[in-house]
Amino acid sequence: MATLLQPEKVLYLVRGEKKIRVPLSQLYFCRYCSELRSLECVSHEVDSHFCPSCLENMPSAEAKLKKNRCANCFDCPCCMHTLSTRATNIPAPLPDDPTKTTMKKAYYLACGFCRWTSRDVGMADKSVASGGWQEPENPHTQRINKLIEYYQQLAQREKLERDRKKLARRRPFMPQAFSQHTIHVVEKYGLGTRLQRQRSGAPISALYGLSLKEGEDQKEITIEPAQALDEVEPLPEDYYTRPVNLPEVTTLRQRLLQPDFQPAGASQLHPRHKHLLMKRSLRCRKCEHNLSKPEFNPTSIKFKIQLVAVSYIPEVRIMSIPNLRHMKESQVLLTLTNPVENITHVSLYTCEEEDPDDINSTAKVLVPSKELVLAGKDAAAEYDELAEPQGFQDDPDVVTFRKSNKIGFFIKVIPQREEGDVTVAFKLRHDFRNLAAPIRNTEEVEATSEAIWLTHHVELSLGPLAT
Amino acid sequence: HSDVKIAAGAVVCVESDIRGDVTIGARTVVHPKARIIAEAGPIVIGEGNLIEEQALIINSFPENILPDAEDIEPKTMSIGFNNVFEVGCVSQALKIGDNNVIESKAEVGRSVILSSGCIVGACCAVNTCEVIPENTVIYGSECLRRVQTERPQPQTLQLDFLMKILPNYHHLKKTVKASSTPARS
Repeated sequence: MATLLQPEKVLYLVRGEKKIRVPLSQLYFCRYCSELRSLECVSHEVDSHFCPSCLENMPSAEAKLKKNRCANCFDCPCCMHTLSTRATNIPAPLPDDPTKTTMKKAYYLACGFCRWTSRDVGMADKSVASGGWQEPENPHTQRINKLIEYYQQLAQREKLERDRKKLARRRPFMPQAFSQHTIHVVEKYGLGTRLQRQRSGAPISALYGLSLKEGEDQKEITIEPAQALDEVEPLPEDYYTRPVNLPEVTTLRQRLLQPDFQPAGASQLHPRHKHLLMKRSLRCRKCEHNLSKPEFNPTSIKFKIQLVAVSYIPEVRIMSIPNLRHMKESQVLLTLTNPVENITHVSLYTCEEEDPDDINSTAKVLVPSKELVLAGKDAAAEYDELAEPQGFQDDPDVVTFRKSNKIGFFIKVIPQREEGDVTVAFKLRHDFRNLAAPIRNTEEVEATSEAIWLTHHVELSLGPLAT
Repeated sequence: HSDVKIAAGAVVCVESDIRGDVTIGARTVVHPKARIIAEAGPIVIGEGNLIEEQALIINSFPENILPDAEDIEPKTMSIGFNNVFEVGCVSQALKIGDNNVIESKAEVGRSVILSSGCIVGACCAVNTCEVIPENTVIYGSECLRRVQTERPQPQTLQLDFLMKILPNYHHLKKTVKASSTPARS
């Protein structure tokens, strides 16, 4: 029975740039536009970086410098788990008196999951607990840095040319008005965050993120082109006859996690610093209001702003499905939950013929014609044992039960197809009081806000027909 | 009446369930609620082993043979020294060497032979018919394998601690010298 409660059974349609059908728990609700938003129709912005194992916050500039990796934590190159530092006591000669030995602590890295240790690749034990471990140097670093400098200069030149082409009346450094596609650009010297408009016509230049510091001398950097070699190192003679030592061969995943070296042998797998995770905030693209803004502290899971759809839109869930038979009418029990604190009126409508949104339904549905009234959510109601019965007149054919802010009701489903899953769709219309709108008239006694009626397209997947 | 022979120096709690012809070596610790069942033959456990709670070491009949069939020879299950059987593991392997670790909820089948230094990771089920090479680590939900360079360390610290602490809280089964009459459990 728990499978009926799975959120994927009930999908809400989001009318954004693309029409997406997603469960309500994955949607956001912009209360300024009064529309549902999904992850695809909001813009994602990076809030802060943090390490998932030591939970250390890192400012974005420092993260960029360290290539988005934590300074203290390592990943096991074998199973990608977090490595822990272990200590052993080894006898070591005293610096003063070479004949006497004393116990010194030696530290090594070990993985708790696959039992990999740093001694497996030949890394010597260190005498300090943290900070002693170095990643191996990439032999091509110098060449790569030189190439990056050259291309940065090229990017600067391209940018100057583009700015010159822009009309002179608009100063290029003024933050432009918020518009459809805004991206966050953090300048290197901390000029503050600049919001640059990405022109919808022009392709994103691949070098867009690299920008030279202002006022640097325009040194001419030349690079040598890469040289093609005629001769390639020949394969060893026993390459085809030598038996493969399977435990020594690295898997593709292990190899590609270290793109610098891509070692083929497991004895060259060195641990890498752990990748940082980021907290992101979401912003509605139309009205540029924040929909979700997490707290800055990595240990906190709360949000400063959390406009999720589940706390504004009534949620439909399937409670029980009888045996569904082809062309026979059956009653499906659904529940409607009211997330807000005031009374909500909900009416359901069937989709009309030739409704452009109604593409997936394979059954006819008859919804209750009367308006359903949902009581407000009362947080203290669960502790109140002597709850007074709510004075709602319910039609017993339609409404089966009522419990604080939830009701159960029937819909009639007539499957139209002989095979396949049964999917139905209907429209859900409810009133929404926008508490975000400012109270215009301070003389009004009641702070009533206007009710807007919102309509959502809901799809239910009721599973296969009964055999 | 039972044939459990517990060597001197072993700590076997009374709440453990030991049935059949079982020999337990010195310095072995058997936690309460561990089960060692010798159905289809005797079990010989060496020294320095650590058998934790709810571990099941069973020498059972292979599945397709009825227990009443006449022509089955009882096979001895032998377990070496310094092995660790973590909580909730199931071991039916007939031959286990030394310094192996069978982690929590792992299952080792009857046709597997563990050599030395092997680690069977948590929740890994090994049912193949093979000899696991030395110092192999089996880990992950897909039972991936790798070879480590050194064997796992024997749990001497833990064994010493347990041998001191367990008698304070549990009654122990009586030990007996291996050559004399069987002990009462």
